[in-house]
Amino acid sequence: MSAARPSVTERIFRALVRLFPFDFRSDHGHDLEQTLRTQHREAQREGSIAAIIRLWLDVARDVCTTAPREHLAILRQDVGYALRALRRAPVFAASAVLTLAIGISAMTGMAAVLNTVMFRPLAVDRPEELISISNQSRLSHYVSYKDFQDYRAETSVLSDAIGYVPRVATLGVSGGSERITLELVTDNYFSMLGVQPAAGRLIQPNEGRAPGEAPVVVLSYDYWHSRFNADPSIVGRSVRLGSHLFTVIGVSARSFRGTESLVRVSAYVPFWMVDTFMSWVEGQSEFEDRSVRSLTVLGRLQPGVSLEQARAALVVRAARLARDYPDVHSDISLRVIPETHARPNPSLGGFLRMAATVLSGLAAVLVLITSANVANLLMARAASRGREVALRAALGARRGRIARQFLTEGVTLALLGGVVAIPVVALAMTALRNFVSNTTAVIAFDADFGFDVRVLTAMLVMASGAGVVAGLAPALAACRGDLGATLKNDPRGPSNCSGGRMRSVLVVTQIALSLALLVSGGLFVRSLDHARHVDLGFEPKGMLLATTAPALQGYDFEKRLAFYTAARDRIIIIPGVEQAAWVQFPPLGIIGEAAEVAPEPRPSDPDWRAALAAEADISPEYFETARVRLVEGRSFDARDRAGSTPVVIINQTLASLFWPGQSPIGRALIADGDRVEVVGVVQNGKYQNVGEPPRSAIYRPVAQRSPVSASVAVRASGAPIDLARAVRQAIAEANPEVSVYDVRPMTEHLDNGNAFFPFRMAAFMSGLFGGMGLLLASIGLYGMIAYHVGQRTQEIGVRMALGALAADIIRDVLVQGGRFAAIGIAIGIVLAAGLAQLLKGLLLGVSPFDPITYSAVAGLLIAICLVASFVPARRATTVDPLIALRTE
Amino acid sequence: MAPRRVDAFLPLTPPMLHTLVALADGDKHGYAILKEIGRRTEGAVRLSAGTLYALIRRAEADGLIVETDERPDIALDDERRRYYRLTALGRKVAAAEIDRLQAIVEMAREKKLVPRPRSV
Repeated sequence: MSAARPSVTERIFRALVRLFPFDFRSDHGHDLEQTLRTQHREAQREGSIAAIIRLWLDVARDVCTTAPREHLAILRQDVGYALRALRRAPVFAASAVLTLAIGISAMTGMAAVLNTVMFRPLAVDRPEELISISNQSRLSHYVSYKDFQDYRAETSVLSDAIGYVPRVATLGVSGGSERITLELVTDNYFSMLGVQPAAGRLIQPNEGRAPGEAPVVVLSYDYWHSRFNADPSIVGRSVRLGSHLFTVIGVSARSFRGTESLVRVSAYVPFWMVDTFMSWVEGQSEFEDRSVRSLTVLGRLQPGVSLEQARAALVVRAARLARDYPDVHSDISLRVIPETHARPNPSLGGFLRMAATVLSGLAAVLVLITSANVANLLMARAASRGREVALRAALGARRGRIARQFLTEGVTLALLGGVVAIPVVALAMTALRNFVSNTTAVIAFDADFGFDVRVLTAMLVMASGAGVVAGLAPALAACRGDLGATLKNDPRGPSNCSGGRMRSVLVVTQIALSLALLVSGGLFVRSLDHARHVDLGFEPKGMLLATTAPALQGYDFEKRLAFYTAARDRIIIIPGVEQAAWVQFPPLGIIGEAAEVAPEPRPSDPDWRAALAAEADISPEYFETARVRLVEGRSFDARDRAGSTPVVIINQTLASLFWPGQSPIGRALIADGDRVEVVGVVQNGKYQNVGEPPRSAIYRPVAQRSPVSASVAVRASGAPIDLARAVRQAIAEANPEVSVYDVRPMTEHLDNGNAFFPFRMAAFMSGLFGGMGLLLASIGLYGMIAYHVGQRTQEIGVRMALGALAADIIRDVLVQGGRFAAIGIAIGIVLAAGLAQLLKGLLLGVSPFDPITYSAVAGLLIAICLVASFVPARRATTVDPLIALRTE
Repeated sequence: MAPRRVDAFLPLTPPMLHTLVALADGDKHGYAILKEIGRRTEGAVRLSAGTLYALIRRAEADGLIVETDERPDIALDDERRRYYRLTALGRKVAAAEIDRLQAIVEMAREKKLVPRPRSV
């Protein structure tokens, strides 16, 4: 044989032939190559370049059309065969499809959530150019109007920038009124986003030139539909927002759902009108003061400018601002990230992505378990279909072809599973959407977790992957096993040995993976349990909350205060109410407030930085209502009213931070620029989340602050929920104009708020995945043991005939099941430890290697494995020796 | 598989018919079929190699042709090439297709779409 390397043409011919399916190649590859070679030689002999070019073009066109057609023909044949085979075994088909549907549903659901949170572009022009510009500071990520204007002026990198801020308002029209979430937007909002009107016109650049000058409103398409029946004559009419009249100028496009993926915005109003809608800081101008930060900012990159270039330019601008305004910019750094990374807001984006990724990882593990389960089913069927497979092999089907058939069967099953998953996921996502909308009524949350091309593509890819994994094991067995053996009269089917081992591996894999899932679930349950036992610094049981926002009615300081007083006076006389008090933000809610505080006089150290403290305005009875212990000094009382010395009550952490070892009573501090005098000290508590380290906190009297919104906390002598109706009624009697929302027991507020919600969600999801995984694994183990017992029927029969006891037989089978369980658990513990490392950031008060969780889960798995083995073991002892021997 | 009726194969695609006709007078290998079709139609029908083997594959699967071990033409033999032979079914199917075409041609002639051949 010649050792010379084949010529280029020769190699091209071979490469072309390789494009055809395996079967085609082995039948006709040689001839095809030969023919191409001859044709090429003839064309060369003709001597014209044209003839050679024509031949090559012809060959290229031919191969490009024929090869895919041949692949498709085989695929169609395989799918047809798979469907026919599945129709003949409907029970098998249904169980395999449903099993796969479980994993695919979980994964598709996660994909739908991830899509909404991280991937789906906004329904605006060229969404990929949008970047989020936010402050990274201890207080908030919002940007002041002045700073926004400075960033917007960076036109070398930004073609434009918009700012917006969501606000809650009551919208009154023809008699009725209702609370809506609206967005105050800079005048270039719609023009930069490229949104078109569905009716009328949108807010335009230069819509008003000064604060208060543009009392116009654009309705969102959905709100226009639901509230005004899509009546086009609404354009030009007036509606009351809060205490002011606004003219409806138009409706935004149907596809436009705002710039925040989780908020349902009903209307858009020029930012010039911000003061109309309960500005949180009174006496300061949102337009002039750089310390008033309220805007969320999105920029649009200039064409050809990268995110890094824009970041570099903007950071330089921020540094200049820090130099020019050191008092308000000293502890801010700028964060410039893609818009998709800033959901639901720039500071939470990272955490949410991490949590979502972890949960997707858990769902992926569940998919693997379902695939292993179906692989097992396919193997079992391959064993019982041994004769058929062997016959096909004898009739000339190659092993590769049979293996391909198994893969096709796996993928067909998984795609059918995907079809089943679609309605399941759609239902689950609707439920989740409802759940999200109900978490709080302060801002209208609404996340559209629906299907789109991206989710469906992800599902298709996942289902195909799951199908390949499921089909792989039987395919490998088909490739390796001696398929001819069956025809030589082996009644138990082919490849018992290698197939059996493969099935054992699959069962062990399932046990190991479900252990890993259950351990994650267990760790979250333990975190939740820990969270529930953390000392919150108040007594949540027996408390009812109801929230109001009198500022929505346009009430000023005095009117708000009068409302708070009147409402409390009526609530306190309700039978069953022990105490009642106003609190601006109940602790551990989704919304809270923080303030920068410094002792007066300020420490001389130039590097000294003001402390950040949780802040809430309260009425005098709050500590008694919430059962917060007063450590020193006094609570607020009638002395603390508007005009008298501004006072503050601090917690122990702040007291020991500013005045270690001394009494803080009578001392002064600066909170958010106000000089206030300390009159009392209360015990520490949890303010933002249960996992936080001891934090500073300050309380100021409602009478001196008159907050724009507040919740009434009611201490009930009985079940707090029983008071809900009476409390609502009492507030309505005090003032029927002010609407009441989020009436619920404190325990529910904690469950659905920052306190416990993340742990509850994580425990629920991973517990659900783990439970499903465990169920599938135990079914797999049961099938496996039952199969083995079936294999040994004769042996068991003989042993029984020779006088073996049923207990011995049962023990034997249990030992076999126990062995699988032990190996699976050992591997699973290693896997779980790896997985738990990833979860570390999400756990609270529990080590990722918590021995209690690991041993409880392992114990549970052993118990379930023993039960799964016991059933077939028991059946084995009922074997009639005579029948067993007769089949020999 | 139950033997399919001849009608079930009709109509044949022109390349398939040409392939069957090319095999009517003796066994040939793929390249020879290609050449024969090219020669007889004076280049009007040109099959590409991939298309041809896909056709052969289908014809073989349908039982219209079979691979044969006999080497008909010693001088031209290339023993590494596969040779194909028209089966009885293949012959019937080809004939049926030609009858079908014939009938269409007859019809067209009656309607004077094409002239009748000069009779002897």
